[in-house]
Amino acid sequence: MSDRAEHKDRGIRNVFVHYGFLIIIASFFAFFAFYTGSFLNASNLLNIVEGSSILLILALGMTLVVALGGIDLSVGIAFDMGAAFAIVALKEYDAAWYVAVLIGIGGGALVGLLNAFLIVRLSVSPFLATLGTFFIGSSIQRIFTNGGGPISYRRAPQEYRNLATGDLFGVPMEIVIAAVILIAYFIFLERSIFGKRIHAIGLQKTAARVAGIPVQRYVAIGFIIAAATCAIGGIIGSANLRMFTPLAGFSYLLDAIAAVFIGASMHPRGRPNVLGTLVGVLFLGMVANGLNLMGLDFNTKDALSGLILVAALAISVAQKRLR
Amino acid sequence: MSADPDILMLKGISKAFPGVQALEGATLCVAAGEVHGLVGENGAGKSTIIKIIAGVYDRDAGTMSIDGRHFDHVSPQGVHDAGVRFIHQELHLVPHFTVAESVFMGQEVTGKFGLKRKTMRLRAEAFLRDVLNTRISGDTLIRDLGIAERKLVQIARALIDDEAKIVVFDEPTAPLASSEIEQVFQAIRGLQERGIAMIYVSHYLGEITDICDRVTVFRNGRDVAVLDEVTEDSSDSIIRHMVGRDIEALYPEIHHKVGEPVLEVAGLGDGRKFFGVDLTVGKGELVGIAGLIGSGREELTDTIYGLNQPTTGTMTMDGVPNRFASPADAVGKGIVLVPRDRRHDGLVLDFTVADNINLASLEQVAVSILEDRSAAAKRAEKLAEQIDIRPRDPDAIARFLSGGNQQKVVLARWLATGAKLFILDEPTVGVDIGAKVEIYQLIEKLTAQGAGVIVSSSDPAELLGICDRIVVMLRGRVVANEAARSLTLDSLTALTTHSNPAEVLA
Amino acid sequence: MTSRTAREPRRFGVPSLSAMAGYLPLVIFVCLLGYLSVVSSNFLTFPTFDLILRQAVPTTIVCLGLSIVVMAGGDDVVSGGIDLSIPAVAVLAAAIIADQLTNHAASLAVALPLALMAALLVGAVNAMLVVRIGMTPLLATLSTSVAVVGIVKVVTSSRRINVDHPAVVWLRDGTIGGVSSGVVLTLVFFGVFFFIAHRTRWGLNLQAVGGSRDAAEVSGIPVSRFVALSFIIAGFAGGLAAMFILARGSGSTPGTEENLLLEMVLATFLGSAFSPRRVVTLWGAILGAVLVSALSIGFKSIGVNVFWTGCIKGALILIVVASASLSAKFDRRKTAI
Repeated sequence: MSDRAEHKDRGIRNVFVHYGFLIIIASFFAFFAFYTGSFLNASNLLNIVEGSSILLILALGMTLVVALGGIDLSVGIAFDMGAAFAIVALKEYDAAWYVAVLIGIGGGALVGLLNAFLIVRLSVSPFLATLGTFFIGSSIQRIFTNGGGPISYRRAPQEYRNLATGDLFGVPMEIVIAAVILIAYFIFLERSIFGKRIHAIGLQKTAARVAGIPVQRYVAIGFIIAAATCAIGGIIGSANLRMFTPLAGFSYLLDAIAAVFIGASMHPRGRPNVLGTLVGVLFLGMVANGLNLMGLDFNTKDALSGLILVAALAISVAQKRLR
Repeated sequence: MSADPDILMLKGISKAFPGVQALEGATLCVAAGEVHGLVGENGAGKSTIIKIIAGVYDRDAGTMSIDGRHFDHVSPQGVHDAGVRFIHQELHLVPHFTVAESVFMGQEVTGKFGLKRKTMRLRAEAFLRDVLNTRISGDTLIRDLGIAERKLVQIARALIDDEAKIVVFDEPTAPLASSEIEQVFQAIRGLQERGIAMIYVSHYLGEITDICDRVTVFRNGRDVAVLDEVTEDSSDSIIRHMVGRDIEALYPEIHHKVGEPVLEVAGLGDGRKFFGVDLTVGKGELVGIAGLIGSGREELTDTIYGLNQPTTGTMTMDGVPNRFASPADAVGKGIVLVPRDRRHDGLVLDFTVADNINLASLEQVAVSILEDRSAAAKRAEKLAEQIDIRPRDPDAIARFLSGGNQQKVVLARWLATGAKLFILDEPTVGVDIGAKVEIYQLIEKLTAQGAGVIVSSSDPAELLGICDRIVVMLRGRVVANEAARSLTLDSLTALTTHSNPAEVLA
Repeated sequence: MTSRTAREPRRFGVPSLSAMAGYLPLVIFVCLLGYLSVVSSNFLTFPTFDLILRQAVPTTIVCLGLSIVVMAGGDDVVSGGIDLSIPAVAVLAAAIIADQLTNHAASLAVALPLALMAALLVGAVNAMLVVRIGMTPLLATLSTSVAVVGIVKVVTSSRRINVDHPAVVWLRDGTIGGVSSGVVLTLVFFGVFFFIAHRTRWGLNLQAVGGSRDAAEVSGIPVSRFVALSFIIAGFAGGLAAMFILARGSGSTPGTEENLLLEMVLATFLGSAFSPRRVVTLWGAILGAVLVSALSIGFKSIGVNVFWTGCIKGALILIVVASASLSAKFDRRKTAI
């Protein structure tokens, strides 16, 4: 290979390494805009953002856990528990809407507490601990609902329903809530001293411990905060449908993981980060929306989005590795 | 022996890396049946010339021949075929494999019905017994072996094909206790009897003078001396060639004023690795802990720092009874630790220098809970300048710093925390002599400011050079607690390796 | 901190705390089985035993595949070798066979190779993602698993497909020398896998790669090739399991993969508790699969709500891995963080 060709080759590589995923996002965007008439409508773009809100909330929780060096396969369970606790509080105990929200968050936090106990006290690896929590949580939901029937509560208070369907100055409430959580996570994880410690733990746990950081406390609290965050997603979901659907959270798991890893690939040092996660979530939301608009049937759409997910993850990891 | 024709000859070797002339006309010749020591400070070019022999690097200039055959271009496969074997510092063994499986890894003996396990076991045992002078069952799992035995298994794996002519040992004894070293030396003598040429790279000059027939000293990319006669007294002259200056200047003058006790430890034990340890450190005092690896030294300091919990004994900090639940707790009460494995336990390698320096005092560079980045950079810069961390860039990634500078980053982290007691575990391992001197000076400063310092080290000369008092540990117990000036290198070495432990333990 | 000193040689006599913690899952299993055999009068009978073995067949085969991957990748679930896509691959292969046999009236000679090729293809994709792209096996196989489940939906239109092909019926009801044909075939597969993994140079090198990647590299073993092959073998095992999944369910049913995943992970890691070296082995995998199946059937026979079974299995996974890590913790003779 001549010098010049080699140079050119390296140039292409450089472009890929730095902008690879952004190029892919742009090409998907252009593709959908070209093939479906309504993709670029303002209302559709708003749909994408609104439709991504719940995933963003779960992905933020996942970002925290991955930044701590772990992974949480039970985000879906925390999501379900948030919905279940809130709906049951409303339906069976006539709780006020804000009490129900708090109870829902508490229900999700319990899932995080179980994870924290397994990981910190029993030294189980986060993967296996949260996998176990996932199976137990799924099973409990089946037992509780006698096999998976939804618990619906048509007469849920309007304030509760507004969490999903209301708006604030014209901005859908889902987006408002997700944005608030996004900003809180950004400050917490990327700008605060806690975030710095969390990243230190995720990179080198023992070094963080020797530097005087209470690692176990951070890990435990991290898993609990993540689960509580996911529960907020579940509450919004249940407010939207006015019911608790067992095992509904599972469908977010892989998308949340994918969003975090796509986001990490954009970071100069390959770290999971809040803004990257946002980009990852919007990419996945865009793909789901675009495939919908193309009018594919449900099964084909599922298969295609699965394949796009694999490809997206592969490209983001390759990009991170080549850097 | 030096009259024998040299089997390996490298002459006039030069090698440059961007910004560094690693080798400049270096020569290294090794004869069959000799153990040839290769010494020099870090950065003197030892590992570069080894990698040139291995075919990892291409040389810029010079000639290389093995057994009279010239090598214009060296490939890893080519040198392997020529009979050169490398015993890396890392063991590279699978813990749950047997000795036989490990020895034959990658060169298994197979027959019609698959692996011939019995053949492999018998051959591995025979090789270990006949050539390496040691008896290990071929069915033992690696994880049940001592480190010295694992080293021998590693050596056997490299040599089992019986085609080795030249063996390069890279710091073979680094992880060993001195009682274990003899086992490796016996193996080396076994190889010597078979006429195998050996290059022995080590920082431990005592071992170099024990085992080597000849020594080549490298400095600044050149061979500055070849000693043809090596005796026990050669160390001094080797050091003079290595350093190019006298060694007395290495250690600072000691004039400590010892004040009130900072930390008093009484009867401390963890029930497994150390027992009934008494230890007192005063303000401005520098206490050394001497002992072999495995003497309980490491566990003692880890326990004081709260990394592990003791089962017996008490600790008193500034006159108040205390026990540290975790490092976070210890740091909060004014005890800090510079760990022995700085890359693994000391630094967050992918953090910047500034982040590493500020990691333990983030509150000092924060506005409420938010990090103040300019304050953080300023604080890091100031500390980095104070102790001369290079490069001076606070945004440099810690992973890419040299060993000495990495150690300084860990030290810098604790400097401005107002700690009352510094525990330094092997503070100068893997650090070149220039940085060593600077670290000693830094420790001096800490004591001058009134902090108590514990230095735990496997290098007796270092402890004698800098400490006020030395506590000697042997098999988990304190066997001596003496003023440093009442000890000599000989007496301290004798204490750490007491030949009759039963007497001590009784 | 990092371990530098050797572990002391084993002492004999009273078992240490670590050893006891390590055997906890076994003790619990034996107690559960003992309890079942007391409570359920027909638990310890040949028909039940036969049923247990037959139920265990698909799990055993996917466990064989997973064991190979774990052997090549090491048993750290996050950074080491794991293949979560095997159950999805098995279900995909089952869906393809069912679709071909029932909906397209194809012969088994067409359906089976097609399914195996699809399974190998997924294995090859996993291998590429891990070895070429550098994804962690966990992430790679989790994502291919989701994509494969999506493809299964396209193949089956998310519907159950009944299969009454004689070969499948034979696997379900047939016997060889009085033993279920599925069980006999599984033993044959096990024999082949076992010979390759434990009696050949290739198998030993595979284990070396998983035990210490650096050690394998300095010994001249082509690490990437072994890791890649392990994923392809795992895909193949998934393809093999397909026929037995069809036999067990008399057809392909959506959602089979979830329970299979649970049983596979549980059985494989439970199996490592049986191994004297405390690593994942094929013997352990087969024993683990049988025990898990025994529990499922035992609980069913005493009338435990089927929804509880998942809960109990999840808890068992946690007990197994917690006791393994606690045992490692007690076992550390050296200070550690």
